[in-house]
Amino acid sequence: MSNSDDSRYLDEESFYKDATSNAGLTNYPPHDQWHDWTELDAKAWPRRVERHFRLIPTTCFNCEAACGLVAYVDRETGEVAKFEGNPEHPASRGRNCAKGPATLNQVNDPERILFPLKRVGERGGGEWERITWEQALDEIGARIRTALVEDRRDEIMYHVGRPGEDGYTERVLQGWGIDGHNSHTNICSSNARIGYQSWMGHDRPSSDYANAEVIFLISSHLEAGHYFNPHAQRIIEAQERGATVICVDPRLSNTGSKADHWLPAWPGTEPFLLLALAKLLLENGTWEREFMRRWTNWETYLAETRPDLDIEFESLERALLDQYAEYTPERAEYITGVPAEEIREIASIIGAHPTKFASHNWRAAGAGNLGGWQTARCLFFLNVLTGSVGTEGGTSGNGWNKFKPHAPLGTQKIEHWNEMSWPREYPLSYHEMSILLPHFLNERRGKLDTYFTRVYNPVWTNPDGFSWMEALLDPSKVECHVALTPTWSETAIFADYVLPMGVGSERHDLASFETHAGRWIGFRQPVMRRFAELEGKSIGKDSRTHEFNPGEVWEENEFWIDLSWRIDPDGELGIREHFESRSEPGQPMTVDEYYGLIFSEEVPGLSEAAAAADQTPLEFMRDRGAFAIPTDPYVPYERTVDPASVQDCLRDETGVFRKPGTAGVFDGSPESFAETVLAPLGDGSPAVEIDGEIKEGFPTPSKKLELYSTTLAEWGWPEYATPTWIPSHVHWEDLDLEGDERILLPTFRIPTLIHTRSANSKWLNEISHRHPLWIHPEDAEKLEIGVNELVRITTRLGHFVIQAWRTEGIRPGVVAASHHMGRWRMGKEQGRSWGNAQADIENDGSTWKLSRSEGMGPYRSEDPDSERIWWNDTGVHQNLTFAVQPDPISGMQCWHQRVRVTPAEEGDSFGDVVVDTAKSRAAYSEWLAKTRPAPGPHGLRRPLWYARPLKPTAEAYRLS
Amino acid sequence: MTRLGFLLDSETCIGCHACTVACKSEHDVPLGVNRTWVKYIETGEFPDTTRHFSVMRCNQCEDAPCMEICPTSALFRASNGVVDFDDNNCIGCKGCMNACPYDAIYINPETNTANKCNFCNHRIEVGLEPSCVVVCPTHSIKVIDFDDADNDARRIVDREDLPVRSPEQGTVPKVFYRGANEASLDPLLTAIPDDGLIWADVTLQHPTPPTREPDLVGRTTYTTAHATAWKTKVSGYLVTKAVAAGIMLLAALMVLLGEADQITTVGFVPAAIAVFFVSVTGALLVADLKKPSRFLLVLTQGNWSSWLVRGAYILGLYAILLGGWLLAALLESPQMLKILALPIAVVAASTAGYTAFLFAQCEGRDLWQSQLLLPTLLVQAVAAGGSGWFIADLFVDMPELQVVRGITIAALVANGLLVVLEISGDHSRHVALAVHSMTQGDQRTLFLTGMVGGLVLPVILLAISMIVDSQALPLSCVAGVLILGGMWAYEDSYVQAGQSVPLS
Repeated sequence: MSNSDDSRYLDEESFYKDATSNAGLTNYPPHDQWHDWTELDAKAWPRRVERHFRLIPTTCFNCEAACGLVAYVDRETGEVAKFEGNPEHPASRGRNCAKGPATLNQVNDPERILFPLKRVGERGGGEWERITWEQALDEIGARIRTALVEDRRDEIMYHVGRPGEDGYTERVLQGWGIDGHNSHTNICSSNARIGYQSWMGHDRPSSDYANAEVIFLISSHLEAGHYFNPHAQRIIEAQERGATVICVDPRLSNTGSKADHWLPAWPGTEPFLLLALAKLLLENGTWEREFMRRWTNWETYLAETRPDLDIEFESLERALLDQYAEYTPERAEYITGVPAEEIREIASIIGAHPTKFASHNWRAAGAGNLGGWQTARCLFFLNVLTGSVGTEGGTSGNGWNKFKPHAPLGTQKIEHWNEMSWPREYPLSYHEMSILLPHFLNERRGKLDTYFTRVYNPVWTNPDGFSWMEALLDPSKVECHVALTPTWSETAIFADYVLPMGVGSERHDLASFETHAGRWIGFRQPVMRRFAELEGKSIGKDSRTHEFNPGEVWEENEFWIDLSWRIDPDGELGIREHFESRSEPGQPMTVDEYYGLIFSEEVPGLSEAAAAADQTPLEFMRDRGAFAIPTDPYVPYERTVDPASVQDCLRDETGVFRKPGTAGVFDGSPESFAETVLAPLGDGSPAVEIDGEIKEGFPTPSKKLELYSTTLAEWGWPEYATPTWIPSHVHWEDLDLEGDERILLPTFRIPTLIHTRSANSKWLNEISHRHPLWIHPEDAEKLEIGVNELVRITTRLGHFVIQAWRTEGIRPGVVAASHHMGRWRMGKEQGRSWGNAQADIENDGSTWKLSRSEGMGPYRSEDPDSERIWWNDTGVHQNLTFAVQPDPISGMQCWHQRVRVTPAEEGDSFGDVVVDTAKSRAAYSEWLAKTRPAPGPHGLRRPLWYARPLKPTAEAYRLS
Repeated sequence: MTRLGFLLDSETCIGCHACTVACKSEHDVPLGVNRTWVKYIETGEFPDTTRHFSVMRCNQCEDAPCMEICPTSALFRASNGVVDFDDNNCIGCKGCMNACPYDAIYINPETNTANKCNFCNHRIEVGLEPSCVVVCPTHSIKVIDFDDADNDARRIVDREDLPVRSPEQGTVPKVFYRGANEASLDPLLTAIPDDGLIWADVTLQHPTPPTREPDLVGRTTYTTAHATAWKTKVSGYLVTKAVAAGIMLLAALMVLLGEADQITTVGFVPAAIAVFFVSVTGALLVADLKKPSRFLLVLTQGNWSSWLVRGAYILGLYAILLGGWLLAALLESPQMLKILALPIAVVAASTAGYTAFLFAQCEGRDLWQSQLLLPTLLVQAVAAGGSGWFIADLFVDMPELQVVRGITIAALVANGLLVVLEISGDHSRHVALAVHSMTQGDQRTLFLTGMVGGLVLPVILLAISMIVDSQALPLSCVAGVLILGGMWAYEDSYVQAGQSVPLS
């Protein structure tokens, strides 16, 4: 056990300040007074007007961090007055970023969607009629039932943005028996995932910043990312204690500006920089030999890469130094632009702090570049070399710090493979190839009967949005589109049903994230429902959350149960049984029962904690909103395994205990196809013998950290089996930098917005509503772009017109614009929110043009603030002009763009976007040709041990 | 209760704006105004570029100019040392906005009253930290308890000798900055670039130095707008008040010169003109209030340290004396005029001059702190009085025209010399920027109009008319009109330029 004050053990630490040493002040109302809390009215002050609140905890639904919030529900007005942080939450510890308190705006947004709507007239025509939830459920349920009865199960697809919950909806799809999950992963994190997973099986890092001595970020975790607020707290704490923070980013993020070293490497050269650091660690002798010997598959590495050497540990250093011979600091300076001296200095810093190196890459270079997955792989190489894997102050695997309880909703096996999401061209993709969906529809690989977009806005967020528009406008491709969304979006415009779902304080969800060295669960709940309950209203099994929310805004949990009931009302499809109450068979399960079961049966320590508080586990969670699960977070792979528990296993020649019936012993025989049960993570092998001891190890095929990935080699990519630099599709040496070619970074985030979820917050949009093109003054002069002048950015598909913003905070040769802005609406008085421009869209054949007919301005609404809008800029929708560029291995959209940067031309207006979708189809074909399709070994579609949502049966992996 | 302040830690601040939003939520702060905000500046050249964050807000000054100028004590010192406010007492005069050297006060468009950070005193009262402190992800906002030697934040302040904003203003701020770049705290060292802010539109209300050079060390890349408090009504009031005061100075002079018998032109006419202009002055003052219906609070619960209150009483006293003067005219009593001449001259001069003390209370506006302002206002009053005299002469024969011409010329010349002295002195950077704004920047046209149209041309015209001394040519009257128009132009340039220098 550590004495770290960051990992919170049960009831061991409090985030409440002691008033006696703090000017008589505490930070949060004491928990025992949450049900009846009195504050003074801020506006009436200095007169003392009391306001009485019930404090009801929930979870923020803006970014993925899932920080705790407390809703202050006014007992007189029955409305939420404000949101503050939840001091009971182990990750956010009572604190929030700007987006937390801004939840109030989302609740009170005067233009939010309050009732279920059904399209009238043409799709995309903007005409809607209000319908009842009953009608929506009946009509959509009947469609799905018909599709399932007709065995068109692949035509039902649920496409989710950031879920903000763990596994509920996957269970629903499993209950329906369909492989219908589609995600946003490949516009977000595919590359980072495969980089991490190819080392340790876990596909996400969990960095213990709080205890680190060196923090190495290829990300902007002080302002964005997973998990901004919890991470920023701990990074800054560590820096205050003396840790060195290093940030690699071609533009000066806020994180870069706080870092002790900002390294603006050329985009896509980050792996080169990292390998140069690795080489220096090796040369300097500042690497953890013993750790490498015990925990990497160095034998395989030597056998596969250096047959000329003896397979003994002493050969490893030589082999690595040989392999990385060209990665000298001087060469790295040339390739990356980071001075050799600084690289040497940083290698010394890293080398001086073994086991205390916390690193992180999530999007950034990973999401930008072809081969960007090697960023995470090369970065984690430094963790491996310094022995900072799962250590206090190091980086762990997410699976060890994330807690995903078993859910009581029934499941059925999925026995087929949906090629619309998991095409054979991308056997290693992490995960679904969602960006290619419109192209698959174009190619008639299939069609969609019922397509759910859930808080997901592909028309705006994905590359090549006009192709999405074309697909959604064509009823022969998408027969019915149901948008589950709290707000209007560019995608909801093209729906047949728009079903309003709640924001952070209006829905049930359970989430856990690997924010730090510790485990927790956070409970999101509809606070008005809870308020009603506390005020004495009985919440029966027939009541629904939309009765308590604004208008008829609902939540997905109940929606899915009720919809499943409509799909299979009498149980003949075998679906209903998965949604039935345990205590009252034949009745739908209620959310209270669902979460009550999880909290009382599936969360270690929760029942005891609840009993100590004299509450049921469900009440306990409704009152606290989060729970820290007792855990010992460090070096879990070193845990000793009881030999008795591996008695049924075979110990192979590498010391791995292989369990019968798992992927670890899969041999491609018909029996193994039939008998293999797939583990969610890894190949099901439970242990590995190290130096005579049986250890838990890593969820990889070797049970060790894979310096050499046999999977990558066997599935067609032997040249990338070890940490390697893959030159990016935007590598600077390939560009005409003397001319007008530049690299565009279109993805960066800012601390106050979150993709398209935050346009309905006035306070956030007031702070940030503009995203000019960052350009170095030297480049601006060279390209003859005047101060504040319009720039035309020409991509492969077309162009967009944006304003220039000169800054010393970007590498010459690179230009950048934040991805947040550029939101638009079609309706004049619909979805204006606080940052959406009015768009005109013209279409002629495959040519599309979006122009901005009106920016933001004051308007009259229920909220007097809408008449005080003082800004006009809303940005430019740049993603429309980007082709799909999926990495051939991970499937990641390689976001960085090779563009021409020129002064705007005659007739160009700010916000113009022009695209030819014929060109997008050509780009799609070209990138598709880079793949090395399945089948892999044993005729499989995908390695059995690779994670994926809704893992089907082994049989479904057979590519026949 | 203990005395409180803030420690704002730029060392750990990540520029996330959570404090801004938590504050908006706690106080329901409307769009367009802020009690607290995060300023970004950028310094250095690639790759040695840095962005610096600093939180801006009320400094809870020990010697708070906003409280001193507040005519109704709507801004008051709470028992914990915090400068708090009471919406119910605010008349919306906006004096506090100009008194504050930190851009911390704004008019709430919902209530039309002055609001600012009050340390969340309604939370302090129930034992809770301010909402910005609670929300901050990196604990970069800390409460200092100056009366507790063990208070963590206080110990940091004591140990590290931390800076405050604009210490030269002598306001003794109780908000300290740790790790802030000097240029973050000095709004004159960075400017908003022509291509704008990093994430937000720029309006004319966004604070930036009126000239870029010299001495800039970086770029302001994020900040918030701050409305100009005093505009044309205030410059107008300066002129109308000058006429009201100056005409009676001349009338009193006439009595001294033995013209007390001229009951109509020395007794009735100047007083009538003065009454009219005092009324217009009062009307402008009330109209400039955001809460005009509350103007009587200035008298019923006046704050005696405020020159707005003292000025109101001076204007009131002046009105009473004018009533006496008119009564004397009605009673056709030269004797009474003689008795009133000295008092009315003194009060008229006070009427003209008190604004110098009011402007001096505007600690945020260094241009207005000049010792030359009082003599300037006095000579302007004389010139304005002369103008009134000449214009009145169109309708009735005013006495001693040549004398008045001479005096007016002298006043204009003196005014000109004072302006030259004002703009050519050895200035602080703040004043230099204001002067630049006035003479070369946005106010240049108004300023030149004031100088040429309001000083040079009238002097020439009056000199000619002195020589010619003919009733046929209404040159003096033309000069009078020019003087008043020019004076307004100058005052407006002065009022605007004074407020053009960024404070945050």
